[in-house]
Amino acid sequence: MFTEVLLALVIGGLIYFLVQRSKNQVLTTEDGWWGSGAPCDAGEDDTIRSFRVTTSDQELEDLYRRIDLTRPFPSLEDSQFNYGFNSQYLQKVVSYWRNEFDWRKQVDKLNLYPHFKTKIEGIDIHYLHVKPKKVPEGTSAVPLIMVHGWPGSFYEFYGLIPLLTDPSNPHDLVFEVVCPSIPGYGFSEAPNKKGFNSVCAARIFHKLMKRLGFQQYYAHGGDWGWLVTTNMAQLEPKTVKGLHLNFAPPSKPGLSMALSMMLGRHFPKLFGFTDFDIQRLFPCMEKLVVESIKETGYMHIQATKPDTVGRGLNDSPVGLAAYILEKFSTWTSHDFRNLDDGGLTRKFSLDDLLTNIMIYWTSGCIISSMRFYKENFGQGLDAPHAKIPVFVPTGFACFPNELMHTPKLWVKQKYRKLVTFTPMDRGGHFAAMEEPQLMAEDIQKFTKILCISYLQWIL
Amino acid sequence: LWLECSMAAGGIMAYIVYKRKKPRTIPFGDGWWGVGEKTLSEDQKIYPFQVETSDKEIEDLYERIDRTRYADPLEDGRFHYGFNSTYLKKVVSYWRHEFDWKKQVAVLNKYPHFKTKIEGLDVHFIHVRPPHRENQKVLPIMIVHGWPGSFYEFYKILPLLTQSRDGVVFEVICPSIPGYGFSEASHKKGFNSLAAARIFLKLMERLGFSQFYLQGGDWGSLITTNMAQMKPQCVKGLHLNMCMSNRGFKVLLSLLIGPYLPFLVGLSREDVRRLFPFFEKNVFEMLRESGYLHIQATKPDTAGCGVNDSPVGLAAWILEKFSSWADLKNRDLEDGGLERKFSLDDLLTNVMIYWTTGSITSSMRFYKENLGSNLNNRVDFKTEIFVPTGFAAFPNELMHCPKSWAQIRYRNIQSYTFMPRGGHFAAFEEPQLLADDLFNFVKKVEKS
Repeated sequence: MFTEVLLALVIGGLIYFLVQRSKNQVLTTEDGWWGSGAPCDAGEDDTIRSFRVTTSDQELEDLYRRIDLTRPFPSLEDSQFNYGFNSQYLQKVVSYWRNEFDWRKQVDKLNLYPHFKTKIEGIDIHYLHVKPKKVPEGTSAVPLIMVHGWPGSFYEFYGLIPLLTDPSNPHDLVFEVVCPSIPGYGFSEAPNKKGFNSVCAARIFHKLMKRLGFQQYYAHGGDWGWLVTTNMAQLEPKTVKGLHLNFAPPSKPGLSMALSMMLGRHFPKLFGFTDFDIQRLFPCMEKLVVESIKETGYMHIQATKPDTVGRGLNDSPVGLAAYILEKFSTWTSHDFRNLDDGGLTRKFSLDDLLTNIMIYWTSGCIISSMRFYKENFGQGLDAPHAKIPVFVPTGFACFPNELMHTPKLWVKQKYRKLVTFTPMDRGGHFAAMEEPQLMAEDIQKFTKILCISYLQWIL
Repeated sequence: LWLECSMAAGGIMAYIVYKRKKPRTIPFGDGWWGVGEKTLSEDQKIYPFQVETSDKEIEDLYERIDRTRYADPLEDGRFHYGFNSTYLKKVVSYWRHEFDWKKQVAVLNKYPHFKTKIEGLDVHFIHVRPPHRENQKVLPIMIVHGWPGSFYEFYKILPLLTQSRDGVVFEVICPSIPGYGFSEASHKKGFNSLAAARIFLKLMERLGFSQFYLQGGDWGSLITTNMAQMKPQCVKGLHLNMCMSNRGFKVLLSLLIGPYLPFLVGLSREDVRRLFPFFEKNVFEMLRESGYLHIQATKPDTAGCGVNDSPVGLAAWILEKFSSWADLKNRDLEDGGLERKFSLDDLLTNVMIYWTTGSITSSMRFYKENLGSNLNNRVDFKTEIFVPTGFAAFPNELMHCPKSWAQIRYRNIQSYTFMPRGGHFAAFEEPQLLADDLFNFVKKVEKS
């Protein structure tokens, strides 16, 4: 009897110890320097400078000249978007770009929010910092950092920001939003050294938020932003109060995920699969493997030869537009591949799409944006952060047309404290830009739950 | 005992019948790739063709080169991130200030060019007759290029093949695959290697050749293999410098046992040296080098768009392959080892063929048309080849294919040579070695 009790205590203690150990697993990182040459001995200039997006006649003339010089090659008869961006439709987009799109007006729109730049680890980091105009009595604005992905930019959040900083509903929380550009994207300087991956970006963004005076904050991300904010939560779990994501592809398939792929179709209830989950995941081979192969050519070449693939795109605005807009078509819905116009303007306006492209074009950042793929995938899928779960409270917005569908079971594998999991009615990969209202509602819902539980905890 | 014997005999007979019933050819089929509906009759004449250029073409090229917006490479990036920008500037500077396109056009025109309409497309080819034909055995041969090459890759080997050796000399036809260079691109979906093979067979027939040899590397090896599968009676011999081997039980077995008991699975010491460590050499390297293949096989129209406007982008895309595929170790070099085996004039002439014809997008589509669906299920991959075949195995070829693996489908291998040096662009890099092997192979076939 005595030995049984002792054995139970020992085993119990061991399990508890292991669980606690994994709970305490924190991602570690070293400092970095990404400027050219060696870091200077004198301390780094950490001033925050105001920044305005500008343009010039010369910039526009150069763009128009290149557009006029484009050498289009007709798409095959009846191929729609199945061979990539359809050439005939591309000419229509380019014609709009050349003759109707008003870049100066869009630059004014970009400058509606205050932009800043500051040097961190040797490179200039660009970000928006939007403070709410009014905050309800006795409360303070909730600090939130939102990180974009590829081929997006901070501009994806322009529809979402006012819904968070200036909500119409008086019961909604008021946010103070920081939207940085990942180094190598848009107006953030590109790293000059090899090895700049998502963990480095996460570390730099922590430094940014600290420099702005925030001790604790929430984070939101999709596409690369998902990984950068996840790394932020792994690096400093006490600083990130809540993590909100709309994209969470599993990095390492665990036992429950593997079992669910084998048995999920026949025993959906066992794994908590809804009808929609079944529809999107099975048959596994076709929906997960074949679809992925069809759509990941860009990822493969960017993860191996970014300097080669970006080279032509930095000279040809039309080539850049085709490359980027193909994603805005296909990643909004796979069915758009069968449309002559790729369904591009069903969810987005040409003005918004072209403004995003102009950010890549005017900053010439396409090559450095692609290098992020090589730096992250270069070591294979075995990076330390892929093995560490996330214990920060997480909220997941599950959009129906997201590239990789992740049912609740799979998300929970990594995000151990899943507070909300919301199946959305509509929307694809670029959710913040496509469905800002739905996204704002989910961020509100998630943050309110955490604020209330925090209040309950301290009271 | 009587029962067992008769059952065994029956089994053996059934197997023999089954083997004989297996198709030894693939269907010839037909196709139409022109604009709109098929016309009732087709113009079968062969028209001479001259490569031309103009001041306007060259000025346009220079304006675009001058507008290039370079980005700095990462410190110590070398060729690991793709074509190094610093070295690219040097290549482009040569292109802009020293490369003489008019002179190169004259070089291109030193062999006679022709065009003829087949299946709705203008097919371009050069036809090189040996200067001395008396008392020589003149053997017609078609040599097919691949990507990102062109008929120009063969300009170094042509003089060697049209020079007689022991009474044997070649009459050479080098076509351009439709969608590449001066051959018109298909307007319809589905133009794959089987269609190209059929078109090239029709071309040889139109030129009056009933029996001929074939040589090919890269896509050329697949197309010439298809030609040998469609009309084996026309193909006297098939010589390849690249082989796409099947995966299958035999291959798997030799991978597992090969490093330890190579002779048991038909691998020689040289095979072992080139194949193993398998994962590192073949799987990881393939993953590192096949990004272009993945995007071209899925989104060719997108990938080709930017490089058709930017000559520097096109040069980087194409020349990166001439660096890596000559020797993978070139990625460690600041200049990609590009000029070790090739001259800039030759490399840029090949790039100019893609540039002046604007054919990069259609050349990429060939990947989607062939690899878009599972290749292993295609009829030609399940059919064996019985035509006499010769392999020249170059050490730096992308993936080594030992003789025992090639024998799975190529059932009549007359020669298999381990070459001492050279990579993927064999004819371009080592024309002498390839010519020697080709002559040896052909002599063997002619003797028997």
